[in-house]
Amino acid sequence: MPYIYADPSRCTGCEICVLTCSFTYFKVLNPKKARLRVVRMEPAIDLVIACRNCERAPCMEACPNEAIKRTSKGIIVVDEGRCDGCGRCVEACPLDAIHIPPNGRAPIKCVACGACVQACPVGCLKMAYSFEEAFEKRRNYAERLKEIILSLRNSG
Amino acid sequence: MRYKGYAGRILWIDLTHEKVRVEDFPEKLAERYLGGSGICARILYDLIKPGIDPLSPENVLMFATGPLTGTLFPQACRYTVAAKSPLTGIWGESHAAGHWAPELKFAGYDAIIFLGRASKPVYLWIDDDEVEIKDAGEIWGRTVLETDDILREEHGEDVKVACIGPAGENLVRYAAIMNDRYRAAARSGMGAVMGSKNLKAIAVRGSRDIEVADPEAYMDHVRRWHRKMLSHPFMPDRAKYGTTNLIELMQKIGRLPTYNLRQGVFDEYYKIGGETIYRKYLVKPVADFACLQRCGRYTAVYNEPYRCMGGGPEYETLCSLGSRCGVSNIEAILYGNWLCNNLGLDSVSAGGTISWAMECYELGLISRDELDGLDLRFGNEEAMIELLIKIAYRRGVGDLLAEGSWRAAKKIGRGTERYVMHVKGQEIASQEPRAQKSMGLAIATAARGADHLYGFPVLDEVGFEKEIRERFGEEYLPEIADRLNPKYKGFMVKECEDYMAVVEAVGVCKYGTQIPPVFYYQDMVDALRVTCGMDVDVRKLKMIGERIVNLNRAFNIREGISRKDDTLPERLTKVPAPLGPAKGHVVELDQMLDEYYRCRGWDLETGKPTYEKLLSLGLEDVAEDLLRKGLIRKAES
Repeated sequence: MPYIYADPSRCTGCEICVLTCSFTYFKVLNPKKARLRVVRMEPAIDLVIACRNCERAPCMEACPNEAIKRTSKGIIVVDEGRCDGCGRCVEACPLDAIHIPPNGRAPIKCVACGACVQACPVGCLKMAYSFEEAFEKRRNYAERLKEIILSLRNSG
Repeated sequence: MRYKGYAGRILWIDLTHEKVRVEDFPEKLAERYLGGSGICARILYDLIKPGIDPLSPENVLMFATGPLTGTLFPQACRYTVAAKSPLTGIWGESHAAGHWAPELKFAGYDAIIFLGRASKPVYLWIDDDEVEIKDAGEIWGRTVLETDDILREEHGEDVKVACIGPAGENLVRYAAIMNDRYRAAARSGMGAVMGSKNLKAIAVRGSRDIEVADPEAYMDHVRRWHRKMLSHPFMPDRAKYGTTNLIELMQKIGRLPTYNLRQGVFDEYYKIGGETIYRKYLVKPVADFACLQRCGRYTAVYNEPYRCMGGGPEYETLCSLGSRCGVSNIEAILYGNWLCNNLGLDSVSAGGTISWAMECYELGLISRDELDGLDLRFGNEEAMIELLIKIAYRRGVGDLLAEGSWRAAKKIGRGTERYVMHVKGQEIASQEPRAQKSMGLAIATAARGADHLYGFPVLDEVGFEKEIRERFGEEYLPEIADRLNPKYKGFMVKECEDYMAVVEAVGVCKYGTQIPPVFYYQDMVDALRVTCGMDVDVRKLKMIGERIVNLNRAFNIREGISRKDDTLPERLTKVPAPLGPAKGHVVELDQMLDEYYRCRGWDLETGKPTYEKLLSLGLEDVAEDLLRKGLIRKAES
């Protein structure tokens, strides 16, 4: 399933993606109205949180009105017409990736439109597909390991 | 408020009577002063009575964002904090980036004004319309990082905190206000003013919209600005080194203050420079809100005794705790930087004060006994670190050094005054003006005492000839671009001061507007039009900048400032640089000052704006006020 991903060791936490998102969908600047968010944690971690479109999605299972559906591309979307704003999906999500925006009724979540990917000044945001992402991560770890081994050899 | 981009409201907090009031942001104020440094200059000129004690309840502390703060304009994340300075006794103002200022706007406030003094330690909690003065018993006495942790534990992970550390509580005259843990509004002692008001912190959460005037065109403009910023040739180095590689660049042109500004080159510069930090200590570049340049650093020292990790350092700190104190142990400097952040100290004035004490100690003007037994030679990093802690808590000799080098020297006497590297009571930052004449002038004229950022005339520093031509015209070249030539520097500093005032008024960073010089007046005009719907042009903006600078000057004139105070230490104007590329040079200050006052339309003899000048800027009330007090004259007709 596709989702928005950023390497937390490369993301700088500028929140340009967040503002771009809120402007794309609401025509205002307001991080609380964005479909993704960036959480800064010590030490030096900036974590982009966006819906992973889980295979077995707790939000879908929690919805009493069948207002949360999956498109043919695998993206989970909220059907505002069927949603009564009960908020059970928000409680069910383990990632905190779906929320009801200020003054809103129905919850919003990332629909992987990619507007933020284009706006990221560091180029670290990307549209990821689970299996490719796993491969990429393994390759990155291997690269880093190579660096460590080389530096150990040089210093030893 | 008719204009978009603004939150449209100003928050008034009367600490003495524990009263909270919300007022609309007057449109006239926006049109004449924009926001940030501009509205601070205007409102505080009216609110602060001349002659008051900066640490008394009569002082007024004001935080202000700009109309672009919190928007997608590159680096639009800044706020101004201003009051009468306890370090200089004149206009005090400081700026910082981070995520705090945008959050304040998302909560629905452009500015906060603090009056009076709380009877016991308090902090301000803002959650959109809920504004509360709360008891700070639990956080008073805590460091900056502890305070941030506790307040976010209490109010939520997404809350943004601006606070003071022990230095501010103990009224160290150069205490900083820290926000988002590692961001400092450091200069001119705003942290001490906050401490004197018994105000420990301001915690904010906001969920309101910032609207833009032209939503259809907005994103096209944003993409254009971002492309323009990202395509600048400076960008890769900025991300890689932040400002740390300025150590190497400044060494190359002999502009790296060393041994209390005795000289502009440091033999061991490479040990404290950008390359060392990048290779051994950088964890990650971090950005502030809406920042594309990511010059912020996150660094870590893994070994004892200087084990630490956190934000920074900037060039300023590397120099002031490094070459300026003769310290080449980079791990000690990084630890000192961490300490300054955590204790809430201005690292520039702290390093400046310590390096003054070091020189006086080596010359035998201050004895070891007076320094609590510390062997304060240049290069003694252990003593430097110990002093930082003593200063923040005012322990032992720290109590004296917490007053700043100028006051400390006046107290000690014995000729130590000669070695104070200050203007108007504030320590000179990490610029050796003998190697860049425009900087010497800018430091002498800046409204908050010695300060490189007020005018920030860096265009002649590393050859931005193309930009100089675009901004000022062909006729001033080549002299204006020659950093060792005093010619045309009065003109350049005047122009830069006006522009920097506008930049701080709209809430964006000097990086990206001045160095590298990517955005200029026309970009600000576009941004204000599309974001705020404000009908401005370049001429109007230039006038706003000039108006702010003149208002700052008027504030200082009321406090007794005139040409006699626009000066530099004799070391810089009389003693030729002993070493390096600027060897033999002094700062030709008087010549540049004459040109500067002439360009400003100020009286050549007194350095004061004329009555007519103030009128032409629409400052009739200020002109009348100064005239009535006998501080300025009308031109003889």
